[in-house]
Amino acid sequence: MSESSPTQEQAAAPEPAKEKERLFGLLDLDARFDLTRFRLIRALLKSRWMPLALILFNTFMFMIILVATLLGGFSAGNYNFGIMLVWILWWVLLMFVLVPVFARAWCLMCPFPIFSDWFQRRRLINIGEEPKKPWGLNRRWPKWLKNMWLMNVLFLVTTFFSGFLTVRPFATFVLLGSVILAAFIVGLVYEKRSFCLYLCPVSGFQGLYSQFAAAEIRRKDDAICKAHKKKTCFIGNEQGHGCPWLLMPFKFEKNTYCGMCLECFKTCPHDNMAFNLRPFGADLLVDTKLESKGLDEAWKAFIMLGIAVVFYLGFQGPWGFMKDMIRGTTLPGFLSYIAFHTVFCLAVIPGVFLAFCWLSKLASGNREVPLKKVFTGFAYTLIPLGLGVWVAFSFGIILPNGSYLLHIASDPFSWGWNLFGTANFPWTPVLTGYLPHLQGIAMLLFYLFSVDYGTKLARRIYPEPAQAKRGFVPILAALTAVTFLFLWLYMG
Amino acid sequence: MNRAVLQVLLAGVAAVALGAAPPAGEEHFFEVRARKFEYEPHVLRVNRGDRVRIRLLSEDVAHGLYVDGYDLNVVANPGEDGSLTFTADRTGRFIFRCSVTCGEFHPYMIGHLKVEPNTPFFTYAALLLVLGAGILAITAVRRRREA
Amino acid sequence: MKQRETIALGLMALATVGTLAAIFGYERYRRATQFDVVLIARAPEYGNWDPRTITVPRGQPVRLHIRNIDTVSHGFGLPAFDVAVREIEAGTATTTTFTPDRAGEFLFLCTVWCSERHLEMTGKLVVQ
Ligand code: SF4
Ligand code: SF4
Ligand SMILES: [Cu+2]
Ligand SMILES: [Cu+2]
Repeated sequence: MSESSPTQEQAAAPEPAKEKERLFGLLDLDARFDLTRFRLIRALLKSRWMPLALILFNTFMFMIILVATLLGGFSAGNYNFGIMLVWILWWVLLMFVLVPVFARAWCLMCPFPIFSDWFQRRRLINIGEEPKKPWGLNRRWPKWLKNMWLMNVLFLVTTFFSGFLTVRPFATFVLLGSVILAAFIVGLVYEKRSFCLYLCPVSGFQGLYSQFAAAEIRRKDDAICKAHKKKTCFIGNEQGHGCPWLLMPFKFEKNTYCGMCLECFKTCPHDNMAFNLRPFGADLLVDTKLESKGLDEAWKAFIMLGIAVVFYLGFQGPWGFMKDMIRGTTLPGFLSYIAFHTVFCLAVIPGVFLAFCWLSKLASGNREVPLKKVFTGFAYTLIPLGLGVWVAFSFGIILPNGSYLLHIASDPFSWGWNLFGTANFPWTPVLTGYLPHLQGIAMLLFYLFSVDYGTKLARRIYPEPAQAKRGFVPILAALTAVTFLFLWLYMG
Repeated sequence: MNRAVLQVLLAGVAAVALGAAPPAGEEHFFEVRARKFEYEPHVLRVNRGDRVRIRLLSEDVAHGLYVDGYDLNVVANPGEDGSLTFTADRTGRFIFRCSVTCGEFHPYMIGHLKVEPNTPFFTYAALLLVLGAGILAITAVRRRREA
Repeated sequence: MKQRETIALGLMALATVGTLAAIFGYERYRRATQFDVVLIARAPEYGNWDPRTITVPRGQPVRLHIRNIDTVSHGFGLPAFDVAVREIEAGTATTTTFTPDRAGEFLFLCTVWCSERHLEMTGKLVVQ
């Protein structure tokens, strides 16, 4: 959709030359608005209390959640503080704003790895006076696991139990407890945030979808980074730690693995780090040697789409037999649900998508371009659409169940407390009559993003513009079909 | 004999052509059986303007039925039915959900009320196709211009 | 700078141990001062009323705290003293006060159809 201007100067970098591209043909994709231009925000980002203060607050919240889910045991999830906070509030916030707008803003304030950080650094907030060896074994994460595959599997496996996790407080207790424990144990053995980078079940989709986000942390000026020989943002200095997510803040181009921990704002002596607002989806086009598009991220996109379908059928659909399968009334039923879910997410969706990619290659008339490149490249068009699907799904969670939050805020442990006077607030569905409309709008909006980025990706996959246009037609058909399918599920 | 068959066939074709829908303004009576965690029947189909009567029976524990968009609620205990009467004046597919905590899956106890024609769905689906076709057209025009 | 670390550690302690202490301390205080009897409600197959027999002295007001820790709604009825709590939703708690003015044994029961064995969900109030 964007104008290609052949007169544009080509960058000298070895990466493929960038033409000026516009989102929907309007918004320059290179446009950035740096929030550090405001003194207050800059000071906040550079303060060692950020993000620690937020992490401490969430530690407090999760303490309550853990107690509530443990005490809640096997009682009803809809009146349990932990269940409601985690699966209604947190999940919906993640899908509505945190990820699509602010990328890994949750990881910024996530309390799970704080104990491992604390242990490794031996300090909670300060930096040691002289460089000290961190505690723990500090092993390197094995190279062949430096990708999303493990998280893909772990997340999929977690969703097997969603029929328990979202309704049984104790199941949520076990899940949260194991994540916190695992984060600590992995921190004893492997360096820095290895757990967050390659294991945390909620890390994968945050990383994937934060490519779409409208915020990013990046260096401001390449030249300053080049001149600064001692890369303090990577090795750390007396102001802060070297990037805990093992990124090179002076170089990286993609949100996926930046945990927004804000250390690089502190360690950069030239104030060369920016917290940018940017057009949605800018990272979807990134494909550099260091941060190349890969099948692991492609599969993450498929899995997220598949989970949305299965969750819809099981949780928001009217079919009782599926609910019985998901909640494990019989073992064969539960196992067939797992089998269907796994095959659907890992094989069926990718298979169908592969067929469309094959058609795309056929239509383009280009025989040289490898099918794998077509497949991986176009898989990223599913990122905006996938987010749209989850936004739509989340409307179906929050509108009918949001009112429970008032009850549980006042009576978090089902002990009859009434902290804010709202303990007796009755269950009240809010605007659920408009649910189909909200879901329809969300789907169409994100469909447009997908299509727009699809045309841009096509131009990167096929060398000739004419090929790109022909090759995009089958992908357009696929995106339209997926959107239609979800419209039908949500309102048809 | 043959004529009768033909008539039935024709009527069938006509019914399919009209979306198997009886003319609007009719009265529909549904006996909805609620059990953990489903309604039977779980899809109620009516036309705009129809009078809808629902009798809610519970087969195990206390259940409710709340209709999205119509903001109506009814409760049934085993042996103590609930009933609901309303005019289906809003089109679309509306979820009806259990309103009495009836077990761990209670928040997922759901049924569908389809008030046809399902204008919202047709609107969004049509919009989608128009958008898709528009994009296709733009692409084609661009190609010709560039060629 | 040393000070900053101390403050952070203090806040961390507050967020973890402090939270725990506050939660359980407050609840202990509440139970000690606000209720005379705590009754747990569950469907018969998951444990029934607990305890099933409540013993109280005659003539003194009883502050009865009923906690439904089940997955279905229950109700509470004590016909002898005209006590009725219509619906206690799963995961909520209610307090009801009454004064038993006669000695003897009285039946209390669940008033919401909560399971196939709902009719077995009964208990005994002993007034001495
Ligand atoms: S990756 Fe997981 S554990 Fe790490 S900060 Fe993000 S959500 Fe928390
Ligand atoms: S680049 Fe590294 S140090 Fe900077 S915010 Fe991201 S994760 Fe933290
Ligand atoms: Cu129910
Ligand atoms: Cu009962």
